[in-house]
Amino acid sequence: MGASGSGKTSMRSLIFSNNPASLTARLGATIDVEQNHVRFLGDLILNLWDCGGQDAFMDSYLTTQRSTIFQHVGVMIYVFDVETRGMSKDLEYYRECLEGLQQFSPDAAIFLLVHKMDLAREPKNTTFDKKKKELQEASGEASVTVFGTSIYDESLYKAWSSIVHTLIPNAAVLSKHLTTFAGACSATEVILFERTTFLVIATSSPLSPPGQSGSPVDDIDAHQLDPTRYERTSELIKAFKHSCSRVREEFHSLEMELHNFTAVLDEMTKNTYVLIIVHDPTIETAALKLNIRMARRKFEELQGDSLIS
Amino acid sequence: MVNGPPSYAATSTTTPIVNRPQLNGHRTASSDAVTRTKILLLGLRRAGKTSIQQVLFNNLPPKQTFYLETTMRTVKHAFDTVIPLEIWDCPGNITVETLGAPLSHFSTMIFVIDIRDLYNNPISKLVEFIVAAYRENPNMSLEVFVHKAEKLQEDDKIENFRQIHERVSDRLLDISPEYEQIQLNFHLTSVYDHSLHEAFSKVLHKLVESLPYLEDLLNVFCANSQSPKAFLFDTTSRLYIATDASPVDSATHNLCCDYLQMLNSFGSLYKSATPHSRKPLPFTPPPSASSTSSLSPVPPRSSSSTSPGTPTSSTTRLTPHPSKDLFYPSAATSLHPSTPGTTLTYHLITSQLALLALLPTSVYEGRRGLLEFNVVFFREGVQEICEVEKETRDGR
Repeated sequence: MGASGSGKTSMRSLIFSNNPASLTARLGATIDVEQNHVRFLGDLILNLWDCGGQDAFMDSYLTTQRSTIFQHVGVMIYVFDVETRGMSKDLEYYRECLEGLQQFSPDAAIFLLVHKMDLAREPKNTTFDKKKKELQEASGEASVTVFGTSIYDESLYKAWSSIVHTLIPNAAVLSKHLTTFAGACSATEVILFERTTFLVIATSSPLSPPGQSGSPVDDIDAHQLDPTRYERTSELIKAFKHSCSRVREEFHSLEMELHNFTAVLDEMTKNTYVLIIVHDPTIETAALKLNIRMARRKFEELQGDSLIS
Repeated sequence: MVNGPPSYAATSTTTPIVNRPQLNGHRTASSDAVTRTKILLLGLRRAGKTSIQQVLFNNLPPKQTFYLETTMRTVKHAFDTVIPLEIWDCPGNITVETLGAPLSHFSTMIFVIDIRDLYNNPISKLVEFIVAAYRENPNMSLEVFVHKAEKLQEDDKIENFRQIHERVSDRLLDISPEYEQIQLNFHLTSVYDHSLHEAFSKVLHKLVESLPYLEDLLNVFCANSQSPKAFLFDTTSRLYIATDASPVDSATHNLCCDYLQMLNSFGSLYKSATPHSRKPLPFTPPPSASSTSSLSPVPPRSSSSTSPGTPTSSTTRLTPHPSKDLFYPSAATSLHPSTPGTTLTYHLITSQLALLALLPTSVYEGRRGLLEFNVVFFREGVQEICEVEKETRDGR
């Protein structure tokens, strides 16, 4: 949901269709509602409703189509253009959408994306904070999560990763197993990505659980890794996948032994990729790959569970 | 600079303002005494000279080139790769007289023309420089970058490129028939794709005296490693210094460029703030290590994380106190899940150069030890060549 031209379809094409940001200019306006079924994690089907933002459509969503649109909503994503001129009208529609949502699907999570941050006036942070406050006031009681996003950098992946995170039922279990796995690999960190979108599904938690066999996981805080690393990784891999597809190749796996760390990125299950980051220079990539192979079965199982529940 | 309006009137060079570059002899602003190979970057105002220089050697994102300011005086950029370079980024209104150094000091002249600029001005300016260069330094290689190719559709692009080429040749012939023998190289370039990197790489190849030896080494490496294509890249600028004898397919070149860029970005992403504990870890078997033998039938690869003596280059890191100098980063990405797939490998050769090679995945996985043995030999060869290169330059 969001006003006309705020960037809803651009966002969708970037995350789910593997298109580069430069091609989004060619997208036309969305007429009415475009329904998209996106297979996420194989069998978890996300039903994406890309709603056209022109006023006529918005009015009809709120009146005649009200029950169809707002029923069975898991997540509502409302997109605001950061530099919009008609903010008051935007907010009015937003409030009405909130009402509709509370009426038909009160449990839905709400995400507000302040989009096109690349065009925001400097200083960007202040602009965003002001906007965020304004939106939180407008939301009243409802709990909302606000992100500043742009299709030209990693911020979009950050927002979508946390959106997707709320939709995965057993994220905590996955995270616990990843932590165990990280311990077994002497890894600093293990990150699980979804295959097609390369959104982050789960990460290992920094503290190694007591009584765990294998060497303790290094304290992640001591490493002070870049806080934007997950999103940047999604962005980099996505870009590289795109360059691979241009030469009709398919990206499959990656291993690196660089100055600062060793990393292996490989398929975990048929819908996920795992990235293992090791800062211990004595660990060989072949050993990490072997560990991935050994863990594959368990994670397939876990994923199977997640879809039944 | 790139997205500027196509106001051709603004490219007039009749203004009498002369920005005399600060001279301190042709030995340049760089403090070191090394003789640098000089490249002259010319072109009218807003042609994209500074954009080119910044995108290639300063890692400027192409989108940001729009905000670059007009160059008012000649800026000399030193850049160290296999040979030390010095790039003179000149303002648009420079002439042979105001350059501040005789043309004979330059090895290459690159003239940048906006592809939409078919009018007389840039062409007469270019011809003027060509004639002067031919008179003073017939050995200088003359390159023309028909730039901002992304601004036009495919058909117009080729048409304009051809027209510019034709006009320059015609004008030269008009002046004197003897200019027909001048060797001019035209390249179609854009900062938004890899064409700029490819064109500049070709310019660079003419300047590297040791190129045939590097190429020989690459040929030997390819032949012995079953590699269909290998490049020796400069890691920071992503220009390729040399490649093997097989023809360069620009799709493969682009992929290698992107791969290098991704690895460069990854390098700093997971950097640890604390130095690693170098103490060897106690033996910790991976989960259910007992069954590993059945799972890894490939003999040269060791399945255990701490077993020494694996025939890989990384064995150097297993010594208790590995020094940074001995460690050469490497990476590999496999590009096809099925068996005959290709693997793209990356091995750092010197602090600036990296070997990127395409390999059949079966070779990479099955005979990795031998492959890395080949890499070590290749590395020694290249390092020796670089050493000799450096000695001759210092000695000059």
